Amino acid sequence: MKAIFAFGLLVLIAFLGSQFLFKRKKLFLPLSYFFLSGIIYIFLGLSLGKNGLNVLSPAVLQGLTPLISLGLGWVGFIFGFQLEYRYLRRFPQRYVELSLLQSLFVIGLAVAAFGWLLRALFPSEPSSFLYGMAVALGLFLSLNSPSLLNFASSEIPQKGNYYHLARFLVSVSGFWGIGGLALVASFWHFPFFESNVFNRGLVLLLSSTIFSIFVAYFFHFLTIKKTSEHDLLVYLLGLVFFASGTAAYFNLPSLYVCMVLGITFSNLTRIQEKLYPLILSTEKPFYIIFLILIGALWEFNLDYRIALLVVMLLILRVVGYSFPLRSFGKILRFSFPLPAHFGLCFLSSGGIAIAFIVSLKLIYPFPLIDVFVSVALIATVLSELLGPWALKSSIIKLDTEK
Amino acid sequence: MNIIVLVVVFFIMLFLKSSSLAPFSNPSFSPTISLGFILIFAFLVGKAINRFKLPQITGFILAGIFCGPYILKFLSIGDVENLQLLDGLALSLIALTAGGEMRITHLRKNVKAIFSILIFQTVIIIAGFVIFGLFGRSFFPLFSDKTLAQGFALSILLGTLATATSPSTTIAVITEIKAKGKYTDLILSTAVIKDFLVIGLFALSLSLYRFLAAPGKAIEANVLTMLLWEIGGSVLLGGLAGLGIVLYLKYINRETAVFILGVAFFTYQISHNLGLHPLMICLVAGFLVENFSSRGDSLIQAIEKVSVPIYVVFFAISGASLNLEALRRSWVLALIFVVWRGILKFSGTYVGAKVAKEDPGVQKHSWAGFISQAGVALGMAVIVERAFPEWGGEFKAIVLAVIAINQIIGPVLLQRLLFKVDEAGKKQIDS
Repeated sequence: MKAIFAFGLLVLIAFLGSQFLFKRKKLFLPLSYFFLSGIIYIFLGLSLGKNGLNVLSPAVLQGLTPLISLGLGWVGFIFGFQLEYRYLRRFPQRYVELSLLQSLFVIGLAVAAFGWLLRALFPSEPSSFLYGMAVALGLFLSLNSPSLLNFASSEIPQKGNYYHLARFLVSVSGFWGIGGLALVASFWHFPFFESNVFNRGLVLLLSSTIFSIFVAYFFHFLTIKKTSEHDLLVYLLGLVFFASGTAAYFNLPSLYVCMVLGITFSNLTRIQEKLYPLILSTEKPFYIIFLILIGALWEFNLDYRIALLVVMLLILRVVGYSFPLRSFGKILRFSFPLPAHFGLCFLSSGGIAIAFIVSLKLIYPFPLIDVFVSVALIATVLSELLGPWALKSSIIKLDTEK
Repeated sequence: MNIIVLVVVFFIMLFLKSSSLAPFSNPSFSPTISLGFILIFAFLVGKAINRFKLPQITGFILAGIFCGPYILKFLSIGDVENLQLLDGLALSLIALTAGGEMRITHLRKNVKAIFSILIFQTVIIIAGFVIFGLFGRSFFPLFSDKTLAQGFALSILLGTLATATSPSTTIAVITEIKAKGKYTDLILSTAVIKDFLVIGLFALSLSLYRFLAAPGKAIEANVLTMLLWEIGGSVLLGGLAGLGIVLYLKYINRETAVFILGVAFFTYQISHNLGLHPLMICLVAGFLVENFSSRGDSLIQAIEKVSVPIYVVFFAISGASLNLEALRRSWVLALIFVVWRGILKFSGTYVGAKVAKEDPGVQKHSWAGFISQAGVALGMAVIVERAFPEWGGEFKAIVLAVIAINQIIGPVLLQRLLFKVDEAGKKQIDS
C-alpha cells in the first residue's frame, strides 16, 4: 500500500476520531478515560502495524517519516505558542520554580534508578546507551498532560488553588522535557561525533535555538501588517514545516525547534486571537495520528525486563511527583501546604509524551529505543487508566477539604 | 519586508544544502525541508511577482523552476517525485472549485460558443500540425526518418497535444484574480470540456499511429469502450461524491475543510485505481453541489480555507518538474511549435467564436485564455515515450519544452485578458 494512501487512511480515522475524543462524558466511570483520551488508538495502530494487519507496514512507515516530522513540528509549535509571557506572568514566579524543581527531581531520580536497573537488565549493552536511555526515561517522566484536567474541569466542583496550580504545572512541564530532549539530541547527536563532542553539541544546540528564533522573527515580520487568513495559513505551514524539516534534516528534534519558534512568535505577535482557532482545531487529529503511528511503530514485546521497567516507571512517577512536594512547598514558601497526595494528579502524561516517544524513535534508530518505546507506551496506557482515580484522590479531595 | 524574508530564507536554504553540512544531514528528510522551503519561498515569489501585474501562479512556477533539479538543485528529482504526491489532492480541489463555479444558467447561455470554439480549435490545430508535418518533415529529424503515413499520424498526435489547455492553471488564475463574467465562463468551460475531447482523440491517434506503423494491425476497438468507461464511471462516481458532500454539508457541517480534503484525497485515489478521470469526478461533484443544492457557497468556502498552500506547492512542484534539459536541447523547435500553436489557437478560437456569432471582442481576444498547458499534455508525452521508445524520448523532450514555455506565458496571457475585458475582481464585488 502506498504511503500516501496510508496517510489518507490515518487522516480519515483522525477526523472521525476527533469527533468523539475528549467529549464531555462521565469521566469517573471505569475505563471511561481510557477510551475518551484516545489511548485506544495506540492499539488500533498496533493492529494496523506489522504485528497485525500490516497496513502500516515498515515500508509505509518509512515513507511517512517526513510527514511524521512535520507533525512533530506542528505539535511543538502549538505547545510553544501557548507559553506566552503575558499569560504566564499572571501566575506567581514560584509556580515556575516548582515546575522546574519537580522536573529536575524526577529526571535525576529516573537517571539514578534506571541507570542502575538498566545495567542490571541489559549487561551486554554499552553503558553510554543505557545512560542515554535512563535520561530519556527521565525526560519522559517529566512530561505531563493538561488533557485530563481540562477534561475533568466540569466534574471538579470547586476550583481552588490546587486546581489552578496543577493546571499551570501540567501545562508548562513539557518545556523542561522538550528542552532536555534538545540537550540530549545535540550532545549525544546521532550519528555520534568521534571528537569534540561538547563543542559540536553546543554548536548544534545554539544554532538550532537561534535558527528557530530567526524563523519566528520572519513569521512576525510577514504578519506584522494586516494579513488575510489564507496568507497566514501559508506562512504558518511554510515556516513550521521549514523549521521542522531543517531540524529533522540534521537529526535534531523538530519538537524543540518548533517549540522555540512557537514561544518566540507568541511573545512577538499580537495576532494570537486570529491564530488560536487555526492551530487548536488541528490538535486533536494530530494527536490521534501520533497515537496510531506510535502503535504501528511499536515492536510489541512484553518480557520480564520490560515489565520491571514499566513498574519502576510507574513507581517513580508516583514517588517522584508526590514525596518531595511538601519540601518543595516549604523551600518556595507556598501560601498553602503541598501534601504528597497532590502529586497524584501528575500521573497522566498524554499527548506531548506520545510526541516525545515518536521524536526519540525517529532520532535514534537503534534497537534499544524499541525497549524505551515499549516501556513508555505501556506506562502511558496504565497511567491513563489510573489517571481519573488519581485526580479524584488529589485535587478534587484537596480543593473540597479546603 | 517580504522581499527581505524571501532573500534571507533563500540564503538559509543555500547554506543548509551546502556540501559542508552534508555529513551531518539525514537525506531521508530532504523532502521535508524542501516542502517547507518551497511553500514559503514560492508563495513570497508569487507575491513579489504580483506587484508587476503578473499572476501569482507564474511566480510559484518560476520559483519551482529556479529551485528545482536543473538550476539550484534545492529540490532533487527524488524530492520532486515525493512531493508530487500532492498533485492528486490539488487537482481534485481545483476540479471541485471549477465544478462549484460552473452554473447551468451560464453554461446554457454559452453552450453554442463553447462547442463551436472546441470543434474549430481542435480541427484547425490538428490540421495545422498535419500541414507542418508534411511541409517541414525534411527539416526536422523527428519527422525525417518516418514514412509519409507515419509522419501524418505523428502530426495528428502532436496536434492533439497542442489542442490541450490546462484547466488547473485556468482555474487557479481565475480564482486568484476573482474573475467573473462571460469570458471567464467561456474559457473555463471550454478548457474543462476540451480535456475529455483531447483524451479521447489522443487514444485514437495513438492507435492510428500503431496501425500506420504496422499496417497489419487493426485499430484497437477497445479505445471507445475505455473512453465510455472513463467518462461514464467518472460521472457516476462524481454524482456519488457530490451527493455525499451535499448530505455532509446539510446534516453534519462541521470541520468541512478537513472533510473536503478527505473527499478530494480519496476521490483521487479511487479514480486512480479504477482508471477513471479524477478531474471529471470532482468537476461533476462540484457542479452538482452548486447547481442542485443550496450548499455551493459552503463548498467553495471550505475549499478556499485549505486550498492556497496546496496550490502553492502544486504549481511550484509542477515548475520544478519542467525538464529544462529538454528545453535546452530542443528550444528552437519548441519555440517554433509554441508560435505555430499560438497562431492556430487564435485562428481556431476566432473561427469558432465567429460561427457562434459571438461579439468581435470574444473572436479577437479569447484565444489568450487557452495557451497554458500542464498535466494532461505532460502525461500524454510520457505515454508516447513508453509506447514508442525508439523516437518517444525525442518527442517527449520537444513536448516538455513546449509545455515549459506555454506554462510560463499562459497564465500571464490569461490574466491580462481578464483584466482587459474587466472581469477581474468582479466576483468579490458581487459577493
